[in-house]
Amino acid sequence: MKLVTAIIKPHKVDDVKDALKAAGLHGMTVDEVKGFGRQGGKTEIYRGAEYVVDLLPKVKIETVVPDDIADQVADIIVNAARTGKIGDGKVWISPVEKIIRIRTGELGDEAV
Amino acid sequence: MTPKLDRKALLDDSSNRGVSFCTLLSDKVDTWMRELWTNAGGPESGAALVAVGGYGRAELSPGSDIDVYLIHDPKRDVGALAESIWYPIWDEGVKLGHAVRSVKETLSLASDDLDTATAILSVRHLAGDQRLSEELSTKGRDLWQKRSKRWLDEMDVRVRARHLESGEVAFLLEPDLKNGRGGLRDVHAIGWAQLAGVPLLPGDHDAIAEAYEVVLSARVELQRRTGRHSDILLLEEQDAVAAALGFDDADVFMRALSTAARTIAWVSDELWFRVRSLLDGPSRRKLRRDEEALVGVVLRDGCVALAAGAEPANDPYLVLRVAVTAARNDARIERSTLDRLVESKPLATPWSEEARRLFVELFLAGRPAVEVVETLDQRGLWEPIFPEWSVIRCRPQRNAYHRFTIDRHLSEAAANSAALVDRVDRPDLLVVGTLLHDIGKGRPGDHTDVGVELIAEIAPRMGFDADDTLILQQMCRHHLLLPDTATRRDLSDDGTISFVAESVGTLTCLRLLDALTEADSLATGTAAWGSWKEELVGVLVDRVAHVLSGGSVADATDGGFPTQHQRDLLAQRRRIIEAVDDQIVVISPDRPGLFSRVAGVLSLNGLTVLEAAAHSAENQMALEQFRVQSNFDSEIPWDRVIRDLEKALDGRLALAARLEERSKTYRRPRRLPGLVTHPEVIVDNHLSHDATVLEVRAPDGVGVLWRITRALHELDLDITSAKIQTIGTDAVDSFYVRDSEGRKITDHDYLGEIRRSLLYSLERASSN
Repeated sequence: MKLVTAIIKPHKVDDVKDALKAAGLHGMTVDEVKGFGRQGGKTEIYRGAEYVVDLLPKVKIETVVPDDIADQVADIIVNAARTGKIGDGKVWISPVEKIIRIRTGELGDEAV
Repeated sequence: MTPKLDRKALLDDSSNRGVSFCTLLSDKVDTWMRELWTNAGGPESGAALVAVGGYGRAELSPGSDIDVYLIHDPKRDVGALAESIWYPIWDEGVKLGHAVRSVKETLSLASDDLDTATAILSVRHLAGDQRLSEELSTKGRDLWQKRSKRWLDEMDVRVRARHLESGEVAFLLEPDLKNGRGGLRDVHAIGWAQLAGVPLLPGDHDAIAEAYEVVLSARVELQRRTGRHSDILLLEEQDAVAAALGFDDADVFMRALSTAARTIAWVSDELWFRVRSLLDGPSRRKLRRDEEALVGVVLRDGCVALAAGAEPANDPYLVLRVAVTAARNDARIERSTLDRLVESKPLATPWSEEARRLFVELFLAGRPAVEVVETLDQRGLWEPIFPEWSVIRCRPQRNAYHRFTIDRHLSEAAANSAALVDRVDRPDLLVVGTLLHDIGKGRPGDHTDVGVELIAEIAPRMGFDADDTLILQQMCRHHLLLPDTATRRDLSDDGTISFVAESVGTLTCLRLLDALTEADSLATGTAAWGSWKEELVGVLVDRVAHVLSGGSVADATDGGFPTQHQRDLLAQRRRIIEAVDDQIVVISPDRPGLFSRVAGVLSLNGLTVLEAAAHSAENQMALEQFRVQSNFDSEIPWDRVIRDLEKALDGRLALAARLEERSKTYRRPRRLPGLVTHPEVIVDNHLSHDATVLEVRAPDGVGVLWRITRALHELDLDITSAKIQTIGTDAVDSFYVRDSEGRKITDHDYLGEIRRSLLYSLERASSN
């Protein structure tokens, strides 16, 4: 199994959710987070004072998926979340050792 | 095709350094910016791209941000233009500081925000409408000058806050080259102050330009190597940076850096002092007449100056009188006075009583003396008084233990000693002895021996008689005796106290060494003094004083261990563990390895052992007493410790495994250099009458004490007392040991095995 994690712009959450659902995914975790990347949180047009608080609100989406569709899921997120403007975010994939469904005790792919 | 920036060739060409590198890099970036502008369809009028801040000064280090503004006429929509310029820069991975504003918006921000105000002081046109750039530049400077008082006030505050936070470039082991005191930012601030109307005095400009080149070159090489934005000259980079700049080694380089930083710091201090005076203005300064201080010296408006008619060429004492006045009043010395004092007639040698008295008075003034010495040294007025200073000037002691360069350490120590003069009969010897105690450093050989030799010349030159010279030499020779003995030796041991008493010789000397110990330690670093050390030195001094006053050694060392209460507990013949405050006593059937088990459990619970003592009673019971300190600045969790101890004593605790786990968790990622490079074992069979003294030095870590004591137990050695000390990152542990029959170890082979076993266990510890 793989954990697909995405940091995206808050206003894109619904687009990403809908796209993942349409692809057949039925589980994810969504979190409100803060962060910044290379541009330091600023936009193209920036008028404020020199030093700025560079932590912008973002949304983190996490979902555990079988290995064979991890790349596909990442692509779906990328396409749904992209605006083309600075601050779009990132997606990454990491391995998952073990997963258990709490209610039933199922393991592995059945628990996904 | 978007234009790219190619810095590689420039970065790789090591012949470009310092200011010239920064200019070349800035030129390259300029070209790139202009290409981007043209590519984005940047207009000739109505909008302009300007460089600001450091980039505006055409000064780009390898890790520097590029700071630019897109200035535009308010009516013009420049959104798309901005995008076409910023995106390629972001995509290139270059760190960009940007803003899009009209001239009016920028000035409005600059009128209230110091950082914007200073950024636009170095506005430089890159592309587009030159008119707009010039408008911003001119109006920015006008605005700066209009609000100069407010900005100077705020900058003064900021400079001091920044120094406090970032430390000193001249002294830190890993200085912050930009923000530290004596660093690049200080020079920028001086430049801004000049634009606000505060002039530099003659000679200052060249002095800081030269120093700036040294610090900037260091920063350029540092960032070339790390590829990052950081300005902190890490220890592991210092060798490479030194080599790149053509220095023989890192010590020579750091000395040059320290010298440059001291110059910048001094000129900066002088300037901000003048700013303060300017700001405080005539309403604060009453137009007073000059206040006569000492002969030929006056206080004028809070500064020290030469009186009318004072002639340095005829009066050799003027320098010292000026210095003493400045120190006593914590006042600065007028620049014109410093300039005139250069013509001073040299002091006749040997010094007269007057000269000696003034010299001592300088340091008796306490803290302010440090700054006065710095001022005199910066102006070349100190060396004629004290020629040996040149060897130790700005000489770094590059380890985690020593905070200052040698020269500064000595002036700090001497200033510290002023507060302790009530402990001694001879304040003059205290102050001078403290000033000279490390004078032998920076020369080949043992610094104590070299110091004693140098004092044989210096003291008579200063007019001290033969007896006084001997005392000063004693102070130098034994300046580490008290702290070393107190922290590494058993103060209840007759031999120890006798040894110190014989070395010191007289009560006068003892008192002087006591005060010197404290003054020296306080001027060394945070690890060098504390209540534990102070207490131990106090005990040692008391006991030695008792002996030197004619008392018996036995009386002095009757420390009463074990106490009657402890003897009663021993008689009960059962396991007892008592913990009170920072001491724990463990009574248990005597068996090998007891000491090390307790040491291990203490380490497992995050406790550092400071000292320990052990006693074996005739009824086969043993008592071990440990004094500890929590590593985490919290209350000692005795309940948990005692639980673990019970298990360990029953043999139901896997100490080795648990300590190994713990040491992995608490492993320090970076090792700052200590004084100890490799583990060492020193055997002393002369000091104590009853036991062999083993001194073990090694890099500190979790479980080191446990390993050492386990190695000792492996060889059936009985530990009767121990002093455990951590100096910075080193452990210096001393053990008084006896063999299983209660005797000193004199057998050569046996000692060899002990050494072997200890070194083996220490090598294993450091490889974890």
